[in-house]
Amino acid sequence: MNQILQQLINGFSIGSVYALMAVGYSLVYSIMNFSNFAHGGVIMLGAYFGFFFITLFKMPFWVAFIGAGICSMLVAVLVERMAYKPLRARNAPFLYFMISAMGASMFIENFVIATIGPTFRTYPQIFPAEPFSLGGIYVGRLDMMMFLISAVSLIALVYFIECTKLGKAIQATAFNPRASALMGINTDSVILTVFGLGGFLAGIAGVLFGMKYTVYPQIGFITIKSFIAAVFGGLGSLPGAVIGSFILGIVETMVSGYIMSQYRDLISFSLLILILVFKPMGLMGKSVEDKA
Amino acid sequence: MQKRLIIFLVLLLTATVFAAGCSNQGQGPAGGDVVKIGWIGSLTGDTAVWGQSELNTLELLAGELNASGGLLGKKIHIVGYDTRGDATEAVNAVKRLVSQDKVVAIIGPNASSSAMAISGTLEEMKVPDIATVATNPKVTVMDGKVKPFNFRVCFIDPYQGAVAAGYAFDVLGFRKAAVLYDVADEYSQGLAEFFIKTFEEKGGQIVAKEAFKSGDTDFRPQLAKIKATNPEVIFMPYYFKEAALSAKQARDLGIKSVLMGGDGWPSDTLLEMAGDAVEGSYFVNHLDFDDPEVQDFKQRYNAKYGKMPELNGYLAHDAFMVLVDAVKRANSFDPVAIRDALETVDIEGITGKIKIGKDTHNPEGKEAAIIKIEGGKYKFQQKYAVTD
Repeated sequence: MNQILQQLINGFSIGSVYALMAVGYSLVYSIMNFSNFAHGGVIMLGAYFGFFFITLFKMPFWVAFIGAGICSMLVAVLVERMAYKPLRARNAPFLYFMISAMGASMFIENFVIATIGPTFRTYPQIFPAEPFSLGGIYVGRLDMMMFLISAVSLIALVYFIECTKLGKAIQATAFNPRASALMGINTDSVILTVFGLGGFLAGIAGVLFGMKYTVYPQIGFITIKSFIAAVFGGLGSLPGAVIGSFILGIVETMVSGYIMSQYRDLISFSLLILILVFKPMGLMGKSVEDKA
Repeated sequence: MQKRLIIFLVLLLTATVFAAGCSNQGQGPAGGDVVKIGWIGSLTGDTAVWGQSELNTLELLAGELNASGGLLGKKIHIVGYDTRGDATEAVNAVKRLVSQDKVVAIIGPNASSSAMAISGTLEEMKVPDIATVATNPKVTVMDGKVKPFNFRVCFIDPYQGAVAAGYAFDVLGFRKAAVLYDVADEYSQGLAEFFIKTFEEKGGQIVAKEAFKSGDTDFRPQLAKIKATNPEVIFMPYYFKEAALSAKQARDLGIKSVLMGGDGWPSDTLLEMAGDAVEGSYFVNHLDFDDPEVQDFKQRYNAKYGKMPELNGYLAHDAFMVLVDAVKRANSFDPVAIRDALETVDIEGITGKIKIGKDTHNPEGKEAAIIKIEGGKYKFQQKYAVTD
């Protein structure tokens, strides 16, 4: 019994990392209809920003945390301006966006390898290492922190999208970019906002991820998992991305814990295919009311 | 224009090959009283420091031997060529050593990839080679058949698994072990397999065997499963990054078992990343610089070069000892006679006992160094070997 609970907690904690990353994917997808593969690169940069803010500039953790979010936001906006805007201006097919996104992601990764170097870097210990123990079940402090931060930022995001004017503009643009433009919405600045939001989330996800698993140029690869989680839940749907992430995290832990760790990816990917066969739009697919 | 460019490139290429090849020859007298021994390894690039340490060692030892009368009445001269860590370059270097410099045997290279690439050329030219730290099993044995001219003085990767199991069972007295390994990595798989085999043969119990895939960062599902089986020791045969992460996560889950690893562990990064999580853990390595038996060589090397030898230097030392022993027993400088004598080498090297196996061309049952992490430092425990 204890072991099941422990595995569930492990699953939730892995899921909350996926969620923070998957939401950024979904956000961009809902507006642009393509998968922003550069997202992984921005997450990686976020981890490095946070690392250098803390170790080199000796900033307090929360300042570094927010600072990394803001810097990553700027990077994401820069990527949008340089890699996607010229394509949008020419009405290029979506395939070109994907290729451009991959290019941007490779550029960022290799830029970091060339300038900062390929070695692993470790965040200094910020939260005490001692886990909480509740009757034989162990919960890491950092895990709890990650869960809380993910929850707070996701709630803030939903509030922003549902209750602010800019949020409404985002929803409208997601629903129909052309019509929104005709209604006087500046779709260009909406897109910029979406990339900025995605970039901020990527940045803080990067810092959390880096604290937990160290920093290295290939961190971005982990986003393949959050991409799957986003597809799982239905690309373009924020609640879908969150739910998909937790399902993926829990399925992965349960397979490793009770079947065989070698089969983990095999089974979670088969599940993905099954879901796509029976529910091609994912669990909470991009139907009209779910667009966000 | 394009033609010119091509000519220029060809010239450049020839020049670099020539320059690289020339870097370490032409010293010492030539003539009937000199016998040449070849060395190949990397002298440029990021592994250069290891290659240089090997070549320095050989020149030191050859000088000492010559001063005390030489070998079979002849002076030894070392001819070293740079492979730049590249397998093709290694093949070229071997060809040149044999056909042009007429060496009787070759020592090196340090990289497994280069050591595997030169087998065909060695067989063709009938000259034996003793690799220094090429640990991949396929360097000397391919598809179950031993390569006639390839030898080595280091133990192979999987053997570390057997050493770790023997030490855990016999010395530390553990009876219940768990294994976590990287299913996508040959090195890790080999170590895990031999650990399990040896531990079970000795009468121990493997209570859990869990795997992950290179690139994974979260090991808690596997560790939680391992925790439920309550092992006394967990064997973690993979590289320091995953070792640090999994050790940390194991402690996060409240696992108190002793952790063990192989030569993928030692690095400053491990201690920095894992901190307290690896305190009290053990790992297996080729040798330890604090081992009393290597101190004499260390001092001699330091006296001549003003710095300490790298790991490769110690193994190059033993490769030279092995070769000298084979030449003496063959009582000849004929490469094939040396090869035959190499198959029956049985000497005490500074890195451990070296008894070459006829069917494997590996040093069988060679001692490994056991190192413990204590107070955030690496502490040499003892040398330890597993014999069948």
